[in-house]
Amino acid sequence: MAQKKEYRIKLVSIEFLNGDTCYLGFDCPEIAGSAIPGQFVNISAGTVFLKRPFGIASVDKEKGFFYVGVKVVGKGTSEISQFKEGMEVDCLGPLGNGFDFEGFDNIILTGGGTGVFPINFAYETLTAAGKNVTVCEGFRNASQVILNKPSYILTTDSGDTGIKGTVIAGLDTIAIDDPSKTLICCVGPIPMMKAVSAWASEKNMKCLVSMEQRMACGVGICLCCTVKVKDEGPDGFKNVRCCKDGPVFDSREVVW
Amino acid sequence: MGDISVKVGSVNLKSPLILASGTCNFGRELAEFYDLSILGGISSKGLTIKPRAGNPGVRVAECDSGMLNSVGLQNPGVEYFIENDLDFMKNSGAAVIVNVAGHSYEDYIDMVKTLDPHKDKIDALEINLSCPNVKEGCMTIGSDPQAIKYITSELRKLTDLPLWIKLTPNVTDIKATALAAQAGGADAVVLINTLMGMRIDIRTRRPVLTNNTGGYSGPAVKPVAIRMVAECSQVLDIPIVGCGGIADYKDVLEFMIAGASAVEIGTACLVHPALPVDITADLEKYCSDNDLLLKDLTGTLQRW
Repeated sequence: MAQKKEYRIKLVSIEFLNGDTCYLGFDCPEIAGSAIPGQFVNISAGTVFLKRPFGIASVDKEKGFFYVGVKVVGKGTSEISQFKEGMEVDCLGPLGNGFDFEGFDNIILTGGGTGVFPINFAYETLTAAGKNVTVCEGFRNASQVILNKPSYILTTDSGDTGIKGTVIAGLDTIAIDDPSKTLICCVGPIPMMKAVSAWASEKNMKCLVSMEQRMACGVGICLCCTVKVKDEGPDGFKNVRCCKDGPVFDSREVVW
Repeated sequence: MGDISVKVGSVNLKSPLILASGTCNFGRELAEFYDLSILGGISSKGLTIKPRAGNPGVRVAECDSGMLNSVGLQNPGVEYFIENDLDFMKNSGAAVIVNVAGHSYEDYIDMVKTLDPHKDKIDALEINLSCPNVKEGCMTIGSDPQAIKYITSELRKLTDLPLWIKLTPNVTDIKATALAAQAGGADAVVLINTLMGMRIDIRTRRPVLTNNTGGYSGPAVKPVAIRMVAECSQVLDIPIVGCGGIADYKDVLEFMIAGASAVEIGTACLVHPALPVDITADLEKYCSDNDLLLKDLTGTLQRW
């Protein structure tokens, strides 16, 4: 039964993608070999007490490396952004439930902010499997754009690059032949996921969202990172664990 | 390897390490990391008569060397627990400690009445008179010696199961509340639950926790817990289960020297889930290297 492990892993690369977001590679064949898009890792962050969760952004199975993106928002992420190649950190992973693409011919991936990291992993996995993938990403302005590819639909709030508006403006440009065979996956800030969820619902499309909440353990034992989901009980909702029951949820289950 | 078995009153434990309530759910998730049978015991998530959704919003705030939580006793309710989780805990090979919470005397009484018929699967009831994150009950009862004595004596009439009273450190005199538990017929006290605290986001000037306050746990609270165990050890006749900030085997030894017969470990496992595996090996090595029985360490504090 005992099989999950905490790994001591080496940082193999670190680079800044823009002013406050960096991209880190770690050597861990176990995680690189088994992770699926939407899963995350919990990484020890310098002097702070708790580990920090990050969605897996890419894996290189041959080298045994996996990658995460980190936006500096506080002390822990600031310390991680100053990590040096060759140093070792404690890591738990892969954690949580990833995206289930089974049964869909066409997949739309959409997101913004640090959500573009798990989107990147999903894109790489799906294109390698020969799936029909459309990506639409939204950012505040041109200086924030990261991990973008020419084939992606790009939107910005400022309009200084791509389509002016939110990802909804970008999603509206996609021709959807058969909504029942199309899956949309969204990773981004709550207002974005809520809007994408409503957009998908209007079109009768299944929508998966990757929720985010302040976490402590990441493995389902502390009940700190709750997500409110619909329930048939007297309250009409129940709190489930983002880390263990998610982070990926069917958007129709979430109480927004 | 050294002998690390201990006793808490009539309860024999193969190791002093018990997973603390609220930091291990019912053990299932941790069984994915290690064999739970190495543990002395597992204390269940705090249970109530009816299911509780817990507190809304942000429930965790990191602090120096620890964290605040305001989970608010989210749990599936005792009936669901008996149906779905109790057998798993029993089969884990660790002693089964069921953590009992409530909002009123009646709640605690109903809980013990509900659990007592399942006593063949339970090693002890840990009566949580100390949760800082629910508005009524728990800590209100747990900070009043008379109320502690009363509820303990009422529960004593209802069951032969060992009653461990888990006390709050948020009181002026921990000896008074511990003695009240003893006078009510408790078999042991568990010291300590979390220390009530608050963190504020200076940008929004709002508390980080949506519940405003939460319980502080982690290595930072260890000296407070050690002091309380040592104080109570001087006046109590019943055993003490020490809890608060344990992160390595030396912390376990410190608690036992202070007067604990066993210990609970929690917050450190949120960071390193398999930590009890290392601590168990280290304790065995310590006992073997020093040619002693771990249980003989309890209460050996040499005060100045």
